[in-house]
Amino acid sequence: MNSDTAKEILSAYRSKDRDGADPTFREALKQMESDADLKKWFDDQLDLDRTIREKLAAIEPPADLQAKILARIRGEKLRRSSFALPPAWLAVAACLVLGGLALFFSTRSGGSERFQEFKSDALAMVSKQGGPDLDLETPNLTETQSFLREHKAPCYEALPSRLKLMETAGCRAFVWKDYPASLTCFRLPDGLFLHLVVINKAAMDNADIPAGMKAMGDWHVMFQQKNGMLLMWASQAPMDQLKQVLVALRGVQGVQREPKSEEVFSVRW
Amino acid sequence: MRADIDLENIVSEFYSPLYRFAFSLARNEAQAGDLTQETFLILSKQHAQVRDVTKIKSWLFTTLRREFLRGLRSQSSHPEVELKPEHQDQLVSDSAASQAIDAATALEALTQIDESYRIVLELFYLADLSYKEIAASLDIPIGTVMSRLSRGKEQLRTVLAKTAPPEKISPSPQAKHLPS
Repeated sequence: MNSDTAKEILSAYRSKDRDGADPTFREALKQMESDADLKKWFDDQLDLDRTIREKLAAIEPPADLQAKILARIRGEKLRRSSFALPPAWLAVAACLVLGGLALFFSTRSGGSERFQEFKSDALAMVSKQGGPDLDLETPNLTETQSFLREHKAPCYEALPSRLKLMETAGCRAFVWKDYPASLTCFRLPDGLFLHLVVINKAAMDNADIPAGMKAMGDWHVMFQQKNGMLLMWASQAPMDQLKQVLVALRGVQGVQREPKSEEVFSVRW
Repeated sequence: MRADIDLENIVSEFYSPLYRFAFSLARNEAQAGDLTQETFLILSKQHAQVRDVTKIKSWLFTTLRREFLRGLRSQSSHPEVELKPEHQDQLVSDSAASQAIDAATALEALTQIDESYRIVLELFYLADLSYKEIAASLDIPIGTVMSRLSRGKEQLRTVLAKTAPPEKISPSPQAKHLPS
């Protein structure tokens, strides 16, 4: 083996503990013992490798990356077990959601474009097939609130007592148009979910926010303004069930029932 | 070898080097985070198909690179994102701010290496893969991995010599490229 061949082989050498036992390197390492130039080259090579590795090791992943990965993995497992539906039902559900969204967007009127955009984005997020993506999967409301506070996401804590007793599916912290926002998902007794999306009201550019609950396709949605925050509640649960949960919210003057024709053909905001 | 996989331990062990590798490919913090998450999500869905747990490390890096390339193909109209100084600051914690410049320098140097050598170097330095694992990951012969490592390191040494203090890194006086 000549010196150039030895160098090429030793270029792949990492360290004694990882490659010392590899017979591929044995002859080249042995040759180094009698070749001072090769030994000098090899030491320089190890210095270069160490320097590069140290420099690249200074790249740190985001502090919350590990938690996000674990949450997504747990969420995927949960979705595979909890949201599993027969394919026919999935197709029907997808059609209903898409139909409802199409109806809603084709008939909307009034309100700022920004508010309309937020509604569409938020509803698309919660109506995602298989359930919305969550950063944290937990049945514990307190844990979701802590997570959202930690991630500087808005968190509405003055919840009605019935909601505080319910299990959550989890939560998500995200950013909409540079404004931090949050999603918290509650598990309703019949297995459906109640989603709460919270964002700073300033994100809506002073748009008029309509009060009362509305039916949009197979979704029921309600907006509230609390302490400078905009709250969006969304669920596929029956209106009566939501009334029992949400009517206790402070400042809510009952739940508005849209005329049937409006409910089906024209949802106003 | 077939054994149960502890996903949480695997995430804990590999998410940092995977992120660094993703960042070296994407040069974008958000995309690197997404690629890292996506890679582990694929593992969580397919881990039943992983037959040899000792090869999970190279599987992860190979999968991440494949996802990156797939994203490039599907978004070929997107312009490349340059590594801006303000982004470099976000790469590291405040306590490591002084090292950030070094990390950026190393990454910048890697971008100046010929493409065929660069990916081999990235897998060597960032993934810490052996030459055999690199060969399997890129589906190239072992001898090619060695020659590319040799040539790539010489190029890297030359590039760094232009930016780093001369006493730290200097071109090898014996620099000589061997035929692959």
